[in-house]
Formats: sequence, structure tokens, C-alpha cells
Amino acid sequence: MLCACSGEQFKFEDAPQSPESLATRDFSASGLSSRTGDWESKLDDVQVDEAESTVKEALSLNYEEARALLGRLEYQRGNFDAALQVFQGIDIKGLKPSMTRAIVERTRQRKLRSKGDIIPPSVMSLHSVSLLLEAILLKAKSLDELGHFRDAAKECNIILDVVEAAFPNGMHEGIAEDCKLQEMFHKALELLPRLWKKAGFLGEAITVYRRVLVKPWNLDPLRVASLQKDLAANLLYGGVETSLPPHLQVWGSATPNGNMEEAILLLLVLMQKVAYGEIKWDSDIMDHLTFALTVTGQFELLGSYVEQALPGIYERANRWYLLALCYAAAGQNEVALNLLKKVSGQSEAKHKPHIPALLFGAKLSSQDPKHAHYGITFACNVIDSAADDQVNEHFKSQAHKFLGVCYGNAARISISDAERSVFQKESLASLNSAALNMKEDPELIFNLSLENAVQRNLDVAFENAMVYSNMVTEDSGRGWRLLALILSADRRFKDAETILEVALDEAGSLDQLELLRLRAVLQIAEERPKQAIETYRILLSLIKTQRESRSNNFESAKSSDSEGVTERVLELAAWQDLATIYTKFGSWLDAEICVNKAKSIELYSPKSWHTSGLLFEAQSLHKEALVSFSIALSIEPDYVPSIVSTAAVLLHLGSQSSLPIARSFLMNALRLDPTNHEAWMNLGLIAKLEGSLQQAADFFQAAYELKMSAPVEAFK
Amino acid sequence: MSSSNPGSPSATATSSSSASSFSSKAHSCIQALSSILSTVPSSVSSSSSLLHDPTVSSQISTLLRDPDSGSGDNNLCRWLYDTFHSPDPELKLVVLRFVPIVAGIYLSRIALRKSLAGFEAILLALYAHETTARDGQPISVNVPDLTQPSIYHEAKSSVKTQATELNLAVISPTLEPHGTMRSSRRARIVGVALELYYSKISQMPVSSKLEFCEFCDIWATGIQNKPSSSSSSKQKTILLPWELLQPSLRILGHCLLGAHKSKKLYEAASIATKSLYERSLHDIDAKAILATSSLLRLEKMALDPKLNVDHTEIDMSLAL
Repeated sequence: MLCACSGEQFKFEDAPQSPESLATRDFSASGLSSRTGDWESKLDDVQVDEAESTVKEALSLNYEEARALLGRLEYQRGNFDAALQVFQGIDIKGLKPSMTRAIVERTRQRKLRSKGDIIPPSVMSLHSVSLLLEAILLKAKSLDELGHFRDAAKECNIILDVVEAAFPNGMHEGIAEDCKLQEMFHKALELLPRLWKKAGFLGEAITVYRRVLVKPWNLDPLRVASLQKDLAANLLYGGVETSLPPHLQVWGSATPNGNMEEAILLLLVLMQKVAYGEIKWDSDIMDHLTFALTVTGQFELLGSYVEQALPGIYERANRWYLLALCYAAAGQNEVALNLLKKVSGQSEAKHKPHIPALLFGAKLSSQDPKHAHYGITFACNVIDSAADDQVNEHFKSQAHKFLGVCYGNAARISISDAERSVFQKESLASLNSAALNMKEDPELIFNLSLENAVQRNLDVAFENAMVYSNMVTEDSGRGWRLLALILSADRRFKDAETILEVALDEAGSLDQLELLRLRAVLQIAEERPKQAIETYRILLSLIKTQRESRSNNFESAKSSDSEGVTERVLELAAWQDLATIYTKFGSWLDAEICVNKAKSIELYSPKSWHTSGLLFEAQSLHKEALVSFSIALSIEPDYVPSIVSTAAVLLHLGSQSSLPIARSFLMNALRLDPTNHEAWMNLGLIAKLEGSLQQAADFFQAAYELKMSAPVEAFK
Repeated sequence: MSSSNPGSPSATATSSSSASSFSSKAHSCIQALSSILSTVPSSVSSSSSLLHDPTVSSQISTLLRDPDSGSGDNNLCRWLYDTFHSPDPELKLVVLRFVPIVAGIYLSRIALRKSLAGFEAILLALYAHETTARDGQPISVNVPDLTQPSIYHEAKSSVKTQATELNLAVISPTLEPHGTMRSSRRARIVGVALELYYSKISQMPVSSKLEFCEFCDIWATGIQNKPSSSSSSKQKTILLPWELLQPSLRILGHCLLGAHKSKKLYEAASIATKSLYERSLHDIDAKAILATSSLLRLEKMALDPKLNVDHTEIDMSLAL
């Protein structure tokens, strides 16, 4: 078995053709074991040279092999220094070409045995190569143990060089089942990147991982997966951007561009292996993927992988929660909310309540009035669990906050006056109870201000709005907006405008549009139509430029659909407001142009038809006005301004018989919006026409007081 | 990879030609600094030694933490600003090394409503640099499509994938030029400074990353531990919008799971990640919950010895 390497010593004249010869193998192994007792004791004292000659004599080895074996023994005993000294006696560099040649010759011979190639006797046996590769590996490991990581890595790299040179296209199948060569090579593949990392050369480690992973090396699929995972992690967290070498960039668009892309590719490949059952579910892979897809904003894709997980991997409620997080992060609140409803559903009744999921449900519900009632259920569930001590104070207060917001929203969509006043009371009670524990939560303070403003407790609202704007140091268009509206309700238009000045200076582009519109509305309220028109002009041109800059940029166009929606809403509102201004000043033609503009943006906007109705009414075209108002109401039956205006036109037409109809319209309007001062005003007119002067006076009084505390537009 | 990258073994041989052409810049820069700091060791003579000298960086850190630092006429802010505009890339690294502390203190002090023009000038300079460098363009990656073969896999014909068209994921959106700080832009401007920091993170000394973890924790909890007074003071909540959180999480991921060897840094990163996780639950912030909880689980796995078997161990029982 032991053939010539450096030609220093020949015990066998003819090298055996088969390196697996059992006879020679047994001989050497038993020879070693029978003698170990003898020289194990010697080794501590005698010099390496002496021991070497003992081994050589005992095993009939050549110089390198003797050293390899001796080094191995030293390594085994933990004498890394001694092992290193022994290994250094082997001229590894010089042996590289012959090792590669031996692998090439001997593995080719195996494949083409029938052709009867004759291997020259000077070619090493595979066994010798294995022995030498093991020596190199142990040398690397000894250097590693001694803290010489870089040298260890360089040493270990030799193994890869030797084998890779013999198999430039990788190993599709094993070399030989009982050959240690492959085993040593595989160990080197795994050791090398670790050594480079220990040496602090992450870039080199990444290069090695790639070198290993782009070719087949007959590695166990689990080990390949593990290496892919390691590479992905090093790409994700290493902080060293290492581009692929040119010879690997041959896959066109499939070539990963940059660390992040390569890491995601590897993780997706691994997830596919999981899906095909090639490897088991590995939460590490999922967590790396979660991190990678989170920082790249691919939440929907992440959700699809959570969905792919087999049952049993996640607890049912937890999976719904995770999915809800993904979809909410992707901006799909409705989907998220539907998932969270399952968590609070019947199927989970026997499980411990999933507090984070319930709270998340309450939060999402609080963002849309139409989910107010779900939000109330979610929040109450959390508060009920708090009674069993499962919830900490903070989460309890959070639940009270969302409960307050949802009650407020429920009040706003309520069609019953009695119900509304109950909800409003509950809303303030919940918000105040939240405030006991979280006075520093800006969100809570904002909602306290908003709810008080809606309920026309303007002083409390103002106080909280001020606290909020002091608290929030970051961008807060809505805080400034609310403050301005509260001031406008207090008829402090100048102050409101000053607030808007400040806000406009600080605001981001989208908030800026909203604030500009509010400024224009304020200017109308102050009866400065010319300035208002100018403000609208600025607003419309800003919208135009923003839209243009977005259409020039594909990516931001994709990322800002919601911006586009907000812009459209504001554009529509601007034309409607302009139409109202021109109507008020009798410029019918201008008003009509503006109404048509508004209708061309959104035909089914009740406000556009309402505005058009007002224009007809101003021209005393009462019938046409009625038609417009009724179209507005057919689009949105509860559109209060058109209900009130219909009543006003009926009133104006003046026939006694229409008075009850007008009153019925007005009562309906007040059921929907009890603070509508115009409705109260018209009710007063009806009472006056009917001769109920005391009642009329009460109605006028109510109208006056409400008008004096009305914001220039609805609080939100 | 450039030769100055420490990820490659050749990095130790410094590129001497460029170093000499910038050495005069570095020299004048160090001279300017010596008029600000009490002592600059004589060993500090190059940009690289400036980046790595512990006495210099601890003095600068202390000055930056001074309650009156960061104003428009602050010498040190001026020095950092000027140094960043030096053409020597290594001197730029010296400024980047202090990004965690500048951003950290800046954000913690906004609520005090005093002049922070010095800090703002530095952050705006970093932002402007990045805006110019990438011409305002967004940074995005292609989400790989597994139906196409790649260097790491062969396509399987029966695979059902989510999307077959090119799926772009934006890591950093378009940058608009900003000459002034506004509250609405603040998070983005600071976030871009952190992105820039992250892009050079492998060249940053551990002390700088430790400072980042420290401030990350303060942002998350609002609690600042003052080593001098041993008491901790609660500050106003610092909003953590995604544009600030996203680059922070990438830096934190590196500190927590990267292949560095500083135990102290792992510990600091672990504390900061836990605080950010608590904060994300507190705020019920879906994106932040997903990211921080995955980091925490990965950290736990990395520490579990059972899961870290050495597959390169030689089986010594094998016969030869």
C-alpha cells in the first residue's frame, strides 16, 4: 500500500496495484496497534527523529507517511506543537502536483478499468494521498489550536487546491467508498471557511463557501444545506460586500447582485429543499429569511413562506399572528385583520388568549372606523384577560387606548343618537383610563385631543393637542392639523394660520398638501377668497409636479400608491372648494368649470354633486339643485350636507305642504350629525314659519352656539 | 473587492502610494484636531492610526457627549465636517466612526429644542455625499426567481413560485437633495447616515459599534445610564420610524451575528436587540416585531452549544 512519494525509502519493490489490499492494510494497522504500547511511553522523552525512525522501521513507511502517522499521534494526544513540528517535515508544496496526479490517474483507472490502462508505479496510491491529506488537515488543525488561524487556513487551502485540480468540474459521485480521501477533503471544505473567519478574513471565507457550493463535491445533502445556511448568514451579517468572481457571473439575470441578493437566493433555495422534504424544517433558515425579507421590505413573500410551513411547526394562533404581522407590514391590513379575527374566534376559545395578537387586532381595527366594533371586541378580550393577571399593565393600557379610539369611531358611524352618546362616553372613559398609566404615549394624547375636539370639549382638546405637539419631535402633520382645526373651532383663525405656517415649514411633501388645503379652507372661513384661490393654485401645481416626478421614476411609483390616492383626494377637494368660492361670488362660469373638473376626477363623489347643487341653488335654479342633491344622496344616502340643502331648497320653495318633509330631512341630518349648525338653523326657520317662536329661538340659539364651536372642517 | 478591504488577506499590506498622497491632508487634519483635544499621542500620524487610536476616539466621544456639544459653532463638529470633506477616503472613515455617537446624541437631544446645527451639518454632509454618490437613485435587489437556474441550484420544472416576473425589493429608496434638516426628513437623513456607516462597517473599530449598540438601546428604551452619576434618566420617547429602524437593524444584525470576535460587542448587541424587541411590542410595530424577534431567536440558536457540532473533527477510532 505504501508507495513512493519522495522516493526516499522503498520497502516494496512493486507498488501494489490496488491500494485497498486488505493484507497490507491489516498489516499496517495491526503493526501500529501492537506496537503502540512500546513507543507511546517513549514519545514523551525521545526526540522526534528517534520516534520517527521507530515508526519507519516498524511500519515500513516512507518518510512522509511516517511523519504523517507520527504527527497524527501527537495531535491525538493534544501535543499540537509537537504535531506541528512533525508535519513541518513534510514537503507539502512539493508533493502537491504528485498528489493531484495520483488522484487523477487512480480515479480514471477506476472508471476505465476495462481499457486496462497501466498506471506507472511511481504514482502514489490513493491511500497515501489520503494519509497526506489527513496530515495537512491535522497540520491546519494544530495551527488552529495554536492560534495561527491564517497559516492554518493557508494550509487547509492546499487540500482544496489538490482535489480541485484533480476534479475541475467537481465530484459527481464518490471516489471510493472505503477511501478516506473524500472524507478528508470534505472535512477540509468545512474547516477552511471557519479558519478564515477566525483569522478575520471574512471575504476569504465567503470565497471558499462559494467555491464549495458552486460545484458538486458528493457532500451529504445535509452538509450542503448547512454550508449554504452558513454562507447566507455570513453574507447577511458579515458587513463585507464581496462581489462574485467573474467566472461565476455567467447566469445572466440569475446572477445574484450583491450580498443581500445572494443571501436571499441561498435561503430561498434552502426553503425549497425544505418544501421538497430534502432537508428538515430549520427555524434558523426561516429566521434568516425573515430578517432578510424584512429589511428588504418583502413582507408578502415572507407571508407566503409562513403559509408554506407544515402544520405543527407553528402553533395555530401564533401562525395567524405571524401572518397578520407580515400582511400588515405589507400594507394589507384587511387580510391581517381577518387572520387576527381567527385568533379571537371560537376555535381558540379553549386556548390561552394570544395577547399580542389580540392587541394587534385592536390596533388595526382602530385605524378604520368600519372595523370599530371588531376593535372593541379585541380590546375587551385583552382587558378581560388582564383580570386573570396574564397581561402586564402596559398592554392593558394599550388595550384601553385602542378601545377608546374604537368607541370614538363607533360613535362616528353610529346612526342612532342614543347609541352614539353611549359610545362617546365610553370612548373618553377608556382613553382617560389608558392615560392613568401611559401619559407619555403620544398616540394616546393625540386621540384624547381628537375625541375631546369631536365632542367639542375644545379646551381639553387644545391642551392635549399642545402636549402632543411638544411630545412628538418628529414629523407630525396630523398634530399640527388637529391643533389648527381646534383653533379654528375657537374662531382663532390667526393662531390657526400661524400654526399652519410652522407646520408647512417642517412637513413632508404629503402632509404639506393636506396642510395647504387646510390653509385655503381657513382663508375661506376668514373671507379672504383671493388668498384662498392662490393657495389652491399652489396646491394644484404641487400635486402636478409630484405626480410628474413620480411617473419619471418607476420604483417610487410602485412604492407610493397610497401617496397617489391622497393626492387625488386633495385634488378633488381643491376643485370642489374652488367651485364653492366662485359660486359664493357669483362667477357661475368659473364655478361650473371647477365643478366639471371635480366630476372628471371622481364622478361618484357626493360632494361634487352637492357642490353642483349649490351652484344651481345660487342661480335660483331650485329644481336643478334638487336633482343634484338627490344624485349626491343616491350615491351616499347619509351625506348630511345634501340632506340639509335639500331641506333648505324645499323650505325656499315655500309651500306649506313641503315643511314636514323638510323637517323630516333635517331631523334625519341631526340624527347623523347632531352638531350640524345649518340643520339647526333651518329647523329654526321652519319653527318660525310655523309660528313656534320660542322653539325657533331655541333652535337658533343651538345653531349659533354650534357654529361658534365648529371647526372649518371635520376633526380627524 | 478593493485591496483596502480587511476582508481580504492582502489588506494588511496598505496601499502605500495613495497613503503618501493623502498623508499631508491627514497631517493637517491631525494638527487641527490637536487644537481641540487635550492630547493627541505622537503615535497618531496617519488617517489609519487616527481611526484606530483609542485615546483619540475616547476623547472625541467624551467631547461629543458634552451637554453643550453639537451647536453650530462647535469646534469638534466643524472638524468632523471638514474632515469628511477631505478627499482621503480613510479620513472619511474616521468621521463615519463617530456616526453612532453623533446620530445617537442628536436624536436623543431633539426634544430639548436647543441648537444642534453642528450635528445637523455633519449628518447633512453624509446625506449629501450619499445622494451624490448614487445620483439619488434607490438601492434595490432582485428577489431571486427559483424557476430560473442559478449558481446554487438547478431549476425544478414543477416548482410553483410566487412571482415569475422580475421582483424588485427596495433596500433604500430614492434620495432627494436636502440642504436643511426638517423634522419630517430627520429620520431619513439620519437613516442614510447609518446606511453609509453600515456600508463601511467592516472597517469600523469595535468601540464605534459598541457606541451604536448603546444608543440603539437608549432610542428603544429612552433610558440613558449616566456612568458618572450612576443614576439613569428617562428621556422623551424617540420615534423609531422604519427609515431609521431598517438601517439600524442591519447594523445590529452585524453586531449580534457577524463574524467578529468581540464578546463585549455581542453582549451589547444582545441588550440593544432585546430593548428594540420590547419597544416593537410596545409600539405594536409589525415590521420591527418581525425583524427583532428573528434576530433574538437566531442569537439564542447561536449560543446553544448542542447546535454547534464540529463536523471537521477527525474520528480517531478509525483504522488506518
